[in-house]
Amino acid sequence: MMDKLKLGVFELTDCGGCALNILFLYEKLFDLLEFYEITEFHMATSLSEENHYDVALVTGTVSTQRDLNLLKEARNHSDYLIALGTCATHGSVQGSVELPIREKLKAVYGDDGNPMRALDSKPVVEYVAVDFALPGCPYDKNEVYQVLMDIAKGIEPVRKDYPVCVECKLNEYECVLVKKGLPCLGPITYGGCNAACIWSGLGCIGCRGPLPGEVNPASEYEILKDLGYDDEYIIRKFKTFARWEP
Amino acid sequence: MIIELREFTRVEGNGKAEIVIEDGEVKDVRLKIIEGPRFFELLTLGRHYYDVPDLEARICAICYLSHSVASVLGIERALGVEVPEEIALIRELGLIGELLESHSLHLYLLVAPDVFGYPDAIRMATKHGELVKEGLALKAFGNRIRVMVGGREIHGINVKPGGFGRYPTVEELERVEKESEALLRLARRAVRLFAQLDPYGAQAKHFVATDGYLWGEKLISDEEGAFHYTERIEERSLVYSFAKQSHYKGEAFFVGALPRLLLKSNMLTPGAKRLFEEHREKLETGYVSYNNLAQAIELVYSLERANEIAKTLLDRGIEGENVPVEPREGEGIGYVEAPRGVLIHHYRIDASGKISYSNIITPTALNHAMMEASLLEEARNLYGKADESAMIGRLEETVRAFDPCISCSVHIVRL
Repeated sequence: MMDKLKLGVFELTDCGGCALNILFLYEKLFDLLEFYEITEFHMATSLSEENHYDVALVTGTVSTQRDLNLLKEARNHSDYLIALGTCATHGSVQGSVELPIREKLKAVYGDDGNPMRALDSKPVVEYVAVDFALPGCPYDKNEVYQVLMDIAKGIEPVRKDYPVCVECKLNEYECVLVKKGLPCLGPITYGGCNAACIWSGLGCIGCRGPLPGEVNPASEYEILKDLGYDDEYIIRKFKTFARWEP
Repeated sequence: MIIELREFTRVEGNGKAEIVIEDGEVKDVRLKIIEGPRFFELLTLGRHYYDVPDLEARICAICYLSHSVASVLGIERALGVEVPEEIALIRELGLIGELLESHSLHLYLLVAPDVFGYPDAIRMATKHGELVKEGLALKAFGNRIRVMVGGREIHGINVKPGGFGRYPTVEELERVEKESEALLRLARRAVRLFAQLDPYGAQAKHFVATDGYLWGEKLISDEEGAFHYTERIEERSLVYSFAKQSHYKGEAFFVGALPRLLLKSNMLTPGAKRLFEEHREKLETGYVSYNNLAQAIELVYSLERANEIAKTLLDRGIEGENVPVEPREGEGIGYVEAPRGVLIHHYRIDASGKISYSNIITPTALNHAMMEASLLEEARNLYGKADESAMIGRLEETVRAFDPCISCSVHIVRL
């Protein structure tokens, strides 16, 4: 039997969803465990003895000195590092508050501030080179399964290169932007979620970050303007999950 | 001397504790939340109310629906919106799904390894595979309800002010009706298993909960009728933690499954009520460790209640009509029982529908003082008697009994 790959899951500051989503793979998680041995998983185990990882999954933003130290440790001790989820790839919601950290702390904790070492929240990709970036708040759990299986088989995982609209059309959902006039960021957002929110009859809120390349945010902006949304609304909507671009 | 506990494992988020020893005695315990601050109240400030519940959901993955429902309730109260029973029942069903998902994660994957002496559920699965599978079955059922009501397993956006993007179908409700019945056997077994755990931690003196079982108009406590949090609960910042600490009339108090059972046993479904009566004496001692048993009884409650709601909705049929929502100036507080206890979302909204004030208080922040009190009590009991690693292990179990959700607790704010 071949040796299993060592997998580490490192959680920085986030909601816990990107680590939890791995547990939500249920029986597929046991399939992954045929190829991987989880040697660090903060949320699920009390063991912490290994110091080399074939693959490291890092979730969350760097928001404290502790996060930064943990990230560096993960990078230095891993062969292949995956920034997992929109916090790690684009900064997500906590990265989008555009005040200096001192003012944010003052607003929250009062004049004494907070002597613990908080940093301005930034994505993992701002600090270290990553081997793969998988966005999504959270990412689709089948995506991480596929990526880890690809790596186990020695295949370089493929990054999606189409907007949410493609999956929306494949599901034959009614276009909520055109038919209902709802603000939908589907045309300019990374696909891969199987258009989950349009299934709910609601507009995409852009949780997977902007799709680079041949998309047209200017035209999305014009459409939303024509629907009656003001500049401030549109700009905040655009920046909610992705103030930082990878 | 300060004994530093390593970072807690098998809890959601990043936290640790310090035990201060002076003259050979345990003097103090400090519970430190080291997860970074996330500034949710700043994030929603100035934003249109329509988008706010989707953002608030991101506070926590394990209880995202509790956050979006609390947010929606706060917004609806600020805007003077009342929803019909159908919408209320579907929201309740969503919260029940979340309770099942969260309690089964906590009990089967995070606490059960302590019961059987394993470092984690994956390693426990080799000997107790059936049990892990039962936990996963309950959890998967809870998650299917979250998809149906919330839109996704994690961070769906289906719960909106005035109603839903999409309503459950007849087929989905029929499935809930069948599955909730089939899974009851597993939940009853969980009650027998977790009833074996010893008492540890402190005995809580005060209990706080919402006035309805899973949400409310106001809060209630062990000693008085309904009140708003602003009247009785005080928050303060700590120099050693990113979470704030709350006190009820100057004292530590407890929110969560155990307080819910003790304060609201009259609202339980028949099977859950019987189990509560059977274990009443134990539960009434108030030991925080019995929160685990209380959660197991709530698994039974959740399945029975999910069954009732599915039946009711199937009998009356789904109309699927949202209530129109118009922006206006107002203030409102949403109270929800997240799986781990009372959750508060408080908003002021301006005439154009934008958030002008927001305050969120999470169960883990409400329990912070109680967690410290429990750790102190347990450390005093064990220091000098047990060896250090046994003491640290027991202290970890004590923290785990609160089922703390640390991500949630780091944006407890007043602006």
